[in-house]
Amino acid sequence: MVSVINTVDTSHEDMIHDAQMDYYGTRLATCSSDRSVKIFDVKNGGQILVADLRGHEGPVWQVAWAHPMYGNILASCSYDRKVIIWKEENNSWEKMYEYTGHDSSVNSVCWGPYDFGLILACGSSDGAISLLTFSGDQQWEIKKINNAHTIGCNAVSWAPAVVPGSLIDQPSGQKPNYIKRFVSGGCDNLVKLWKEEDGQWKEDQKLEAHSDWVRDVGWAPSIGLPSSTIASCSQDGRVFIWTCDDPSGNTWTAKLLHKFSDVVWHVSWSITGNILAVSGGDNKVTLWKESADGQWACISDINKGQGAVSNEQ
Amino acid sequence: MEKMSRVTTALGSSSISGRTMFCHLDAPANAISVCRDATQVVVAGRNIFKIYALEEEQFVEKLNLRVGRKPSLNFSCADVMWHQMEENLLATAATNGAVVTWNLGKPSRNKQEQLFTEHKRTVNKVCFHPTEVYMLLSGSQDGYMKCFDLRKKESVSTFSGQSESVRDVQFSMKDYFTFAASFENGNVQLWDIRRPDRYERMFTAHTGPVFCCDWHPDDRGWLATGGRDKMVKVWDMTTNRAKEIFCVQTIASVARVKWRPERKWHLATCSMMVDHNIYVWDVRRPFIPFATFEEHKDVTTGIVWRHQHDPHFLLSGSKDSTLYQHMFKDASRPVDRANPEGLCFGLFGDLAFAAKESLISGDASRKPYPGGDRRYPIFFFKKPNPTEQFAHVSSALSVFESSVESRHMDWLVKTARLYLLSGKPFAELCDHNAKVAKELNRPQVSTTWTMLRIMFSDPANLSTPGPNHIGKLGTLPLMNSFSMKEMGTGLVAEGRLERSKGESRQDNLHLEPGNSLINSNNDENEETEGSEGQAEYMFGDAELDDDDLYSMEHENHAAEEQEYTLPQEAFPLRHEIMDNPSAPEHLQQDKADSPHASGNEAEVMCLTPIESFSLISISQPLFSPHLPAQFFCPVVREMLIHYAEQGDVQMAVSVLIVLGDRIRKEIDDLTQEHWYTSYIDLLQRLELWNVSNEVIKLSTCSAITCLNQTSTTLHVNCSNCKRPMSNRGWICDRCHQCASVCAVCHHVVKGLFVWCQGCSHGGHLEHVMNWLKSSSHCPAGCGHLCEYT
Repeated sequence: MVSVINTVDTSHEDMIHDAQMDYYGTRLATCSSDRSVKIFDVKNGGQILVADLRGHEGPVWQVAWAHPMYGNILASCSYDRKVIIWKEENNSWEKMYEYTGHDSSVNSVCWGPYDFGLILACGSSDGAISLLTFSGDQQWEIKKINNAHTIGCNAVSWAPAVVPGSLIDQPSGQKPNYIKRFVSGGCDNLVKLWKEEDGQWKEDQKLEAHSDWVRDVGWAPSIGLPSSTIASCSQDGRVFIWTCDDPSGNTWTAKLLHKFSDVVWHVSWSITGNILAVSGGDNKVTLWKESADGQWACISDINKGQGAVSNEQ
Repeated sequence: MEKMSRVTTALGSSSISGRTMFCHLDAPANAISVCRDATQVVVAGRNIFKIYALEEEQFVEKLNLRVGRKPSLNFSCADVMWHQMEENLLATAATNGAVVTWNLGKPSRNKQEQLFTEHKRTVNKVCFHPTEVYMLLSGSQDGYMKCFDLRKKESVSTFSGQSESVRDVQFSMKDYFTFAASFENGNVQLWDIRRPDRYERMFTAHTGPVFCCDWHPDDRGWLATGGRDKMVKVWDMTTNRAKEIFCVQTIASVARVKWRPERKWHLATCSMMVDHNIYVWDVRRPFIPFATFEEHKDVTTGIVWRHQHDPHFLLSGSKDSTLYQHMFKDASRPVDRANPEGLCFGLFGDLAFAAKESLISGDASRKPYPGGDRRYPIFFFKKPNPTEQFAHVSSALSVFESSVESRHMDWLVKTARLYLLSGKPFAELCDHNAKVAKELNRPQVSTTWTMLRIMFSDPANLSTPGPNHIGKLGTLPLMNSFSMKEMGTGLVAEGRLERSKGESRQDNLHLEPGNSLINSNNDENEETEGSEGQAEYMFGDAELDDDDLYSMEHENHAAEEQEYTLPQEAFPLRHEIMDNPSAPEHLQQDKADSPHASGNEAEVMCLTPIESFSLISISQPLFSPHLPAQFFCPVVREMLIHYAEQGDVQMAVSVLIVLGDRIRKEIDDLTQEHWYTSYIDLLQRLELWNVSNEVIKLSTCSAITCLNQTSTTLHVNCSNCKRPMSNRGWICDRCHQCASVCAVCHHVVKGLFVWCQGCSHGGHLEHVMNWLKSSSHCPAGCGHLCEYT
């Protein structure tokens, strides 16, 4: 059920840490220990290197595409403690902004929903999470949550702009007053939810279930979904699905998706938010879907070995 | 916890044990050096010169070499080296240019032995010969290197680098006579100690100063150099020309570099500014440090491996006035934090996945990490542990196509393109969409559309071609039962559903009369929930209908003047249905037109629910006047929510649009708006701009329809002075003329204004159209051959 359609020759000189498709699915950005960020055109199954961004002085951990309504903007974060925001203008990529406010490796970057403007969350090994908001005119407004996660923050992911709960009690016809929320995972084994109130970021929820570093968190897109859903994965091999049906957003319940035998590195939601891809140290990418009775089932897996195909269950 | 545990290393007869520990110094350190048996360390700085014993749990101050009330500048050290053969012998490089040797065996408090004051400026480096007891080398800011015989009062030879300041000098491990010197101008020179007149070899190693160099301890002829250009380079000196074999890029300028004992590829570095960490690199993997020590709060100035055959203990001194012993096992490993895999769901359900090449090639020998966490277990072993391997790693990146998701997106795109949402009668829209879904092999969706048509169509709309066909349509009571939750039933239905041929373009859904009673009875008894009263009532109708069908004579009622001739538009006819004559009459009348009704094509639609939870069964004659379309609304609402939850927001929105008022009030505005925004977002991501626009246009949510108005800006230039109109009025504020005057009637145009993009003249649409019928020239008389597109 799963087949390789394209093997991209990235010519990265070291390990690739992240690969992200852009909004339209036509470009692929990769980043690697070799300090570079590369952008490939992946239309029609081909692959053309369109940019090789050099600017980091350490391994680049993660990249993130901004919503195209702001132009072609890519953020990258690195071991060198920097976050670089790149922008394409006239077919060439330039540094738009360089953020150096972290004291340690920056592990994760994630753009907020476009409704909030250009807003970037950055999680770092120094335990802090920074929020960079573009205020126009090359100016970026910085907010920093110190000690968000002790020992370090590994992942950040934004809530969709439309959180169903937040829509309730809004006079109809009026634009709902979005609440900015995101989720983070860290070395303190915690998943934390953050909420902006009166311009200040506050810890909203603390979700405990993992017994080792949380490696990745993913807030599911809310297309048609009635509830908020978050996936988190950890060094302990577990993947949890957190859901909240409560409009006030206070009651989160955890459901164990699966316990893998090895570290789980990534979770990624499909665009419609109903399929979860999980990649772990056990050499597999697995796809999961929630069945009608609320159980998560593996619908297929990709064995990295051959890109081979097998179906479970 | 880990930090508290102790490590003991057996090294032949001696053994080293200890833990990560530190002590405060009185002053910033500039350099440190250990004695041969690794039990003591000397710390030297501008205001400090002390010897500490390395005990298991702590540093213990043994001796303060800085004596006297007002210590001379000779005590102000830039560098220090403990002799590796003579355990009482130390040498320091003083900031005032003096090279001093110290004899710890002296009984007096002042241990100073020899003082050479030959250099004119600060001495940056001193170095004992590894095997020759009395030979000492110094390198100074003044550009000279001097070799001293400690048995003599003066230097035995002076080497002039002919370059700028000397930053480091190091005797080779391999060649007795060779030493390397690094310079501030980026050069590295190799000298033969016997030939002070000229260097043997010189090459440019870095751009900018080369702050340090270190020979590989295993006499390979490898020399590592570090410079201000933030790079560490490894040179193979065995060939005729120095060959760069590795290059590590660090984050800041490199102040010190030290090969790690017993580890061929490892070296430690610290930097001169900005970065306070100590890094251990594997030169084969030059991008990411193998390990880091992050304890120091200020610049690390001196690093030394505690024992020349022990790779686990590293000592460091810093400007933050601390002396540290680092245990290698306590080092942080950036790679542990690093994500070795990249995973991303693409827009079309494709998965981009990057993983280590070894994983991709299916490394069978690879085992899961013990305990599932640390990649590189700590190594207490005398033999190099294979798990300490940190070889160059590369990743392979593949894009996978998962049929599950990509088919979904494929559907979504095709469906979005092909669906008709407006412009035709309701029934036709449903049929069209059902057909689209069917062609895309989505029976469930297709069936849903068909059902919708049946539920919400009224007789008038069914009778598309005209009165003659009425009789063939809906003459039999429709019995169907279907489950909203288990839409899989649609699969069954799809197989049996045949499109009606001939007269009608629509599907006639009949149940075979013989079965219908039984079926409906069963349905009724088993499955109707919550709506029994009504269903019962309907059922009565159905029975009656059947009776009529078979027992009654067909009477031809003159009922042709009914609403069948109404225009075929998708509007709700609920009330008209109510106004209809009673069903039996209808049927009788219909029968007359179609005497062979029972044999009529026999299209069958039989939806057999596989599971019966949440099942709603409907059995009614199509023409039933007693069943308003509202009856279906809760069902449809549930169905839409079900689709949306499944991620098929497209279905929810399409149905919402096609049904329009029929369903709109049933679903709260915010849910609708959420569906709309989600769907529009999706369409825009898929670059289906036209569809997205259509959806926006057809939507009934005010928040959505205004989307189209928010993002359009018109920039208008004044037609007289050709300058941009700055305000919103009709009058150009520069030439004070009315900007939008019709060239034909010379009145101000309010409303539709059409103008030629060539000459910018124009006017009322109607006027201009009329004008162009007679002339192709501009009505303003400018002579332009206007073109309107």
